[in-house]
Amino acid sequence: MGMSTGKGGGRTTMAEINVTPMVDVMLVLLIIFMVTAPLIQQGVKVNLPATKAQPVEASDKKIVLSIDANKKVFIGEVEIELAELEEKLKANAKLQAEKELYLHADRDLPYGIVVDVMASAQRAGVTNVGMITDPMGTPKVSNDKPKKP
Amino acid sequence: MKTPLRLAALLVVTAVPALAQQPVIEISGANFRPMPLALPVPLAQDDGAKGATAEFDAALQFDLQACGLFQVLDRKSYLSDSKEGVTASTITFQNWLNVGAESLVKTQLSKDGENLRGDLRLFNVNAGREELKVSEAVPLKDARRLAHKLANAVYKHFTKETGPFESRIAFVRKSASGKDVYVADWDGKNASAVSNGNINVLPAVAPDRSVAFTSYKRGKPELFIGRGGAEATLLVSNGRMVSGVDFSPDGKRIAYSVADGENAEIWVANADGSGGTKVTDTKYFLNSSPSWSPDGKKLAFVSNRAGSPQVYVMNADGSDVKRLTFQGNYNQTPAWSPRGDLIAFTARDERNAFDLFTVEVATGKIKRLTQDAKNNEEPSFSPNGRLILFTSTRGGSKSLYVMTFEGNNQVALPLDKGDFTTPDWGS
Repeated sequence: MGMSTGKGGGRTTMAEINVTPMVDVMLVLLIIFMVTAPLIQQGVKVNLPATKAQPVEASDKKIVLSIDANKKVFIGEVEIELAELEEKLKANAKLQAEKELYLHADRDLPYGIVVDVMASAQRAGVTNVGMITDPMGTPKVSNDKPKKP
Repeated sequence: MKTPLRLAALLVVTAVPALAQQPVIEISGANFRPMPLALPVPLAQDDGAKGATAEFDAALQFDLQACGLFQVLDRKSYLSDSKEGVTASTITFQNWLNVGAESLVKTQLSKDGENLRGDLRLFNVNAGREELKVSEAVPLKDARRLAHKLANAVYKHFTKETGPFESRIAFVRKSASGKDVYVADWDGKNASAVSNGNINVLPAVAPDRSVAFTSYKRGKPELFIGRGGAEATLLVSNGRMVSGVDFSPDGKRIAYSVADGENAEIWVANADGSGGTKVTDTKYFLNSSPSWSPDGKKLAFVSNRAGSPQVYVMNADGSDVKRLTFQGNYNQTPAWSPRGDLIAFTARDERNAFDLFTVEVATGKIKRLTQDAKNNEEPSFSPNGRLILFTSTRGGSKSLYVMTFEGNNQVALPLDKGDFTTPDWGS
């Protein structure tokens, strides 16, 4: 990645396209939706963020990517080094067919970690990410109910 | 829920005697989709088996991948520990579901005296259930053959048909001084020379696995036959140019072509070369490349009697000649499928590229199998008619490839670099 600079200036052609901005745009283009937690039985213990967003009905057949409070990453219940995550997902035939996974991340995680994992998934070909949330839990940030008109 | 059974959806109509005989995978049809299969590295039980693991593993992977039934999943995606157990209760099936596997094949190797023993278990991942357990033993040096035996068991489990993995093929390989005929396992490995120097071409494998071929070693082309490693002996010689032999499926007769100047005719003889009879009679034209129908009653062959080389069929006594191909002006090397319904052949298209086609014997309907992959020639069907072995220059030099009879899953045989031609798939 990156732009190559021709020596001496003048009429040298740019040999590579700088794809960094493109990757950023692609990440923005990930389709993200909310998934309710109770349907997803997961062995990895995670405190889910609570939300009032309208969740979609979850399928128990999707690949679940978990990140626990210790920043450990799991596919299903198998721990994967973050550095190996992209390769694992790229080789995964189920993921390459469905292009979708559920993210099951602890609510106290730094935003950066979650984005790193999502970027790996996106580079591996994922286009749809379901954020697993807990609709029953108490939101951490106070969130006043809008008044009914 | 997705089950392997949906692969059989289209098939239910075909006449199968009992429901229990229903194949799990139907190999063809519009709805066919290769079954995703996970095949982790074999577990070696002892040091004696360790040395054989790599060869066994390579052969088993190739068999399952190249037969067209399965999508063997990339090991890089696997989530389970490589030391995971081989019984249903010790396997975490969720981890195999998560890589998209519908079937899981686990193998164990162990040394048993002078033998190598292989145990294979096949699991239905969705159901979390063991579906097949087989054990085979072979001499320690035959690790690949052990893999072929176990792959055949898997093939049979899914299709109720005998797999092609223990069959033998013959082919020609260019040497420094000429061309030699070899006979080998279906994957081209374990090859041994049948001819000995000079130019030897157009091999045909007999049902008893002897190999007949055309040799120029005495000047004019003549037919020779090699049996079980012994020096090849003369089969047919009649003072003219004899070439292109094919065995009838029962092994009792041979067909070949005899050329004299501008004229070549098809002859049929007993398998020992006696009793040769000319069955075509066209005087000024060429008739060559005979291929027997599976019932031994008919022959497909090439003739230029209508101007350009085209594929014809006739009764084995030469009667009832019918032209089968009408498209293109250069169709040759017919091979009759052991299932009877199709003849595969090589055609030169308008861009002078050679490609493979099949023609339905009953209707004359043509189907293209290869395209945009350099030159593809010289088809030969597997004994069950499900696969076609052929030559292609797509990788540079001419080498051997295999694909399904519908042209899917085109895979190179794991051969060394070289120039390979005119393969023939025996039994």
